[in-house]
Amino acid sequence: MAITILPPVVEDVAPYHADSDDSMSGADSDSDVEMSGVSRPNKKARTGNGKISSGIVTPGEVITADPQWMRGHGTYMNPLSTSIIATVAGKVQQTNKLLSVHPLRARYIPEIGDLVVGRIVEVQSKRWKVDVAAPLLAQLPLSAINLPGGILRRRTSADELQIRTFFSEGDLVVAEVQSVHQDGSASLHTRSLKYGKLRNGVFLAVTGTGGSGASTSSVKGGVGSGSGSSAPAASSGSGGGVVRSRRQVWTHTTANGGGDVDIILGVNGYIWISKHADGAEAASSTTENVSITRMEEMVSSSIYSSQNDNIPPQTRREIARLTQCVRVLVQGGVRVDEDTLTDSYEASLQVDLEVGDDDEEEDYAQEGREYLEGAKARRILELAMQRK
Amino acid sequence: MSNQRQASSASQTPHLSPAELSYLYTSLSLPKSPIRPDGRSPTQFRPLTAESNILPGTNGSARIGFADGTQAIVGVKAEVEKTVLSTDTLASGEGGESTAATSGHGSWVQMSIEIPGFRDDDALPVFLSEMMRESLVGAVVEGGDGGGDVMMAGGLKGRLVINKRWHWRLYIDVLLLSQPLSYPLPLLSLTTHLALLSTKLPKLKSQGEEDPFFDDDWEVAEYLYPRGSKLKATSGLASQYVRPPVTLLVVSVGENVIFDPSREEIAVADAVLAISVTRDTEAGNLKLLSIRTIDPPSRLTQPAVPNSENVNMLGATAPTEDIAVLNPATGEEEVPGVWRPRRGGVKRSVIANMIKTVLKKGGVGEEVLEGLEGVEVE
Repeated sequence: MAITILPPVVEDVAPYHADSDDSMSGADSDSDVEMSGVSRPNKKARTGNGKISSGIVTPGEVITADPQWMRGHGTYMNPLSTSIIATVAGKVQQTNKLLSVHPLRARYIPEIGDLVVGRIVEVQSKRWKVDVAAPLLAQLPLSAINLPGGILRRRTSADELQIRTFFSEGDLVVAEVQSVHQDGSASLHTRSLKYGKLRNGVFLAVTGTGGSGASTSSVKGGVGSGSGSSAPAASSGSGGGVVRSRRQVWTHTTANGGGDVDIILGVNGYIWISKHADGAEAASSTTENVSITRMEEMVSSSIYSSQNDNIPPQTRREIARLTQCVRVLVQGGVRVDEDTLTDSYEASLQVDLEVGDDDEEEDYAQEGREYLEGAKARRILELAMQRK
Repeated sequence: MSNQRQASSASQTPHLSPAELSYLYTSLSLPKSPIRPDGRSPTQFRPLTAESNILPGTNGSARIGFADGTQAIVGVKAEVEKTVLSTDTLASGEGGESTAATSGHGSWVQMSIEIPGFRDDDALPVFLSEMMRESLVGAVVEGGDGGGDVMMAGGLKGRLVINKRWHWRLYIDVLLLSQPLSYPLPLLSLTTHLALLSTKLPKLKSQGEEDPFFDDDWEVAEYLYPRGSKLKATSGLASQYVRPPVTLLVVSVGENVIFDPSREEIAVADAVLAISVTRDTEAGNLKLLSIRTIDPPSRLTQPAVPNSENVNMLGATAPTEDIAVLNPATGEEEVPGVWRPRRGGVKRSVIANMIKTVLKKGGVGEEVLEGLEGVEVE
């Protein structure tokens, strides 16, 4: 069947006020005088309960009119009133007397040392402007890149003239945040053999709150709160996105003869999945015999190549599988990191086996069996969560 | 400026690096078994959610949401209008029947498309609405003897005729709720199809050339496109009913034909075609209404620099390495792994294959129509 048409699903999002304490629900229902039904947290219920609801507020919604609360991030207070108003769509968080709203989706806020994947959007005379999903474009100065061949010298006007031979518009780079300016824009550098232009793979961007810290627990959509498998996901925080973790770059050994695949999880939510290229192999692919002293030179000179290596179909299939695993995780509201991605990859292999057993009709099994995002997504998520 | 570029080409051209484009192109053009970035088979559609009759104030409406989050709502409204007879038909007297009054007129169907970020008179919405409208009013069915479908004689235009002096005017309002992530045509077309399927017109009480007078009871209203009963639909007789056309977006990469392309897939396509099909009542199979080519965005992309010509790699590559190979689909010489923007032009056999995949019995076109038929209209 080429096309699947599903009935619409009503998003099972509990409204903020419905989530509040049980004891006050009775009081709420008969106090119709309270206008507009906007959640006005009962002081006693809140302090007595000790926990804040995990409901979702929208921009402009009054969180509370009670003067005892202090306003935190994502909120706004009219100078003439005491009510705290949400400025972003997200979940209310309570830290002692501080109320803040943790956004469901936010742009990436750069921090020094972050590994990011970015796309060159503009070439200027001495620097590139890079899209890293931050509010402002990051800059990559010409002086912050490695010159081909690993030569260390001042950048001359000749380098400025051929700036497009290093990176040009549309190119993807993996880089590190070197500094963050006053206005929140970042300066990047690629002064390491790990960094540079990306090739031999696919790019995908995930949204979500990305690197920022822990938040309240809930899994949106996907697995559904009733299935019980959502409990482990709760620990990894709300909303999809890439976790700022120990390892952002690793090599995954894939099944089905796919060989090794490199995965770069940019903290900014940009992800690059590519065929593994280790130094020696990359060097030998360019010339037959390289002396060991020139090895580094060879590697560093291929940083600016935009020509893909020969990638076998098996590897391409497994790269496609990995990208789908990332999408499945994001749709399920699970954060993406090395563990969850590895787990979901293993789970997807297992689901494939199960489907292979179930389906006797070969036509159906063959048709689009590699597509994981539909019916298989839930099963993969369940399996991946069990592995934790 | 950027808006104009978006409008002229098949999607907002995502800036993809040459390395990505080359990877995608090579994956998608693998002979016989293309590897799509999301693992679908070439003819597989992304799952979509659909519902109809969602707007109470309209004669028919539908909503479709694609898996990538794009959504569209279509509302169909009908109003009675007096048929203006042209002067020459009046001159010819009572005996000469005016063609407009009996076979309908294309201008009786009005379509407006709203896409966020685009003005009403931008090229994209205007082009899209005309493309969908022309297949809608152009689908003329000859005679009604085959399926006993007398009502639909003359296609949609004929259905809108009440009598010589009065006709229905149909307003189809298409609203894209989200940013157009990929070329929105298939989404809008499927939603319009579904909305038209659910469209009902009040039952006519007057007869002949009287001024039209309708039944108040909405329960007895008739479908604009007559629908078969449930039983008939399952037993395959549904193919006898006329259906509104659907427009499918098909791309070709190399020699492969790919349906429901995502944004990245359109970005590397050799050719992008919008194929409109409808069900032919007599033969029971699909009929091709129109094919339009859409400017593939791959022409605007940046070329990659082969290693042998890369100044940053001087001395690092062996000169023998980059041997240009002939691409069988386009007939151009290219170095493997190096992206070259498409110059346009596809082989006839590829185009023929695209059309065949849509039209053949049990092909993609039939499956799409069947799938949409299955959506509950109650």
